[in-house]
Amino acid sequence: MEKKNVMINYTHRQAGHCESGATSNLMNFYGVEMSEQMAFGIGTGIYFSYLPFLKLMFAPMMSFRNFPNTVFHRTMKYLEIDATVIKKFNDPKESMDALDRNLDKGIPTGCQVGVFNLTFFPPEYRMHYNMHNLVVFGREDNIYHISDTVMETPHILTYDDLLRVRWAKGAFAPKGKMYWINNVKKDIDFKTGVNKGIAKSVYEMIKVPFWLVGIKGIRVMAKDIKKWPKKHGNEKASFYLGQILRMAEDFGTGGAGFRYIFGAFLKESGEKYNHDGLLEASDMMGKTANKWREFTYIGARNCKNRSKPEEDYGMLGDMLREIANMEEKVYQRIDKITLS
Amino acid sequence: MEQTSNPVYTDQRMGQSRELFYYYDQDGRYVKKVGFHGEPTRVILQQAWDTFAERSEAARQKVLAGKASPIVYYMEKIFADPMNLAMMAGIPIWKVKLHLRPAFFKRLSERTLQKYAQAFNITVEQLKKVE
Repeated sequence: MEKKNVMINYTHRQAGHCESGATSNLMNFYGVEMSEQMAFGIGTGIYFSYLPFLKLMFAPMMSFRNFPNTVFHRTMKYLEIDATVIKKFNDPKESMDALDRNLDKGIPTGCQVGVFNLTFFPPEYRMHYNMHNLVVFGREDNIYHISDTVMETPHILTYDDLLRVRWAKGAFAPKGKMYWINNVKKDIDFKTGVNKGIAKSVYEMIKVPFWLVGIKGIRVMAKDIKKWPKKHGNEKASFYLGQILRMAEDFGTGGAGFRYIFGAFLKESGEKYNHDGLLEASDMMGKTANKWREFTYIGARNCKNRSKPEEDYGMLGDMLREIANMEEKVYQRIDKITLS
Repeated sequence: MEQTSNPVYTDQRMGQSRELFYYYDQDGRYVKKVGFHGEPTRVILQQAWDTFAERSEAARQKVLAGKASPIVYYMEKIFADPMNLAMMAGIPIWKVKLHLRPAFFKRLSERTLQKYAQAFNITVEQLKKVE
């Protein structure tokens, strides 16, 4: 079958977080003004989980972001927009054909990919990480045009490369997952979306009855950090600490684990609907995020001098505990808020 | 894998990619700025790559001494552990753990070797020897 060349007029804007960036760009393509932080907040991108029994890259696994595709899916659900998510394909070829059909119709399509074989990515980031998102918006012969919101400019990938990253193996394998917006209605009710997004975020951060998720997870991690040097030795303890920092620093926002974006979301919705409580909470969140960044700076000093730690791990644990307390107050503050 | 497994940052700016950062300033505003990553990121990334390089070198020595099968070396080279490898190759984890020993590796069928080779993105001939 002859493939004709397609080029969709899609605006690429850089963002701090891959999935919320992709969601907001897709919404802008359909003529709805939506900033990145709005998509992040409504789609409840904020999250924390600590799973020490699972190992990712030889160190305990933790996540500062929600599971793949939650942001897009929830944004669409809460704003009641007609969108399609195909969770998995059985056959790689079929997934690429579906993508081609979408491009022929002129629909920019988002895909979940693995980072390890992504050719345009900076080599220092190519680790096994299967939760990355990008948007395909054009095709010329065998070359696909990609908008990756983490990068500054759009990039290109060949057919084989795109197929390989869409079928990356391992934990959270994408299996060719793709998503797109069908059509957008005229009057979108952002207020309800914000309400639902805040309620869900608060639930996930402080109300989940499981001790490794949310604020409770941060507290468990703070307790564990203190034990690491004795249990594993200084060398390994600093590698584990590095893992925390890598996950927090991992792309954009610079070491606060997406807390800045959530704060910006609270600020924007507070200004939009003139709500003092949200503005107050956004100020608290900004300070928490600054504290996270300070934690990264101090922790990195330990990683630099591996065998002789400059800072005491007990101090780092206490700091993390303080951060957890600060963050908990933010969620308790916005818990009761309902915009009317 | 053509690129070296340990990218050394000759440039202080750590590669050429600029990213978007959020800041919260004194006046209570959220500011977005495009810029390069700072010193902490470089330190922690360098630490990770150093550790991976050390592990893969240790694995290579082990394989050359005949104490482990080549799978160990290639597994460390793509920073996987047995569980990841089991998921990538589609082989049960207890079998993967057995195949890490030379004696069991020798008895592997062509089909299983093919599965491993596909997971590592190399040919079967490459998989059989480590230089």
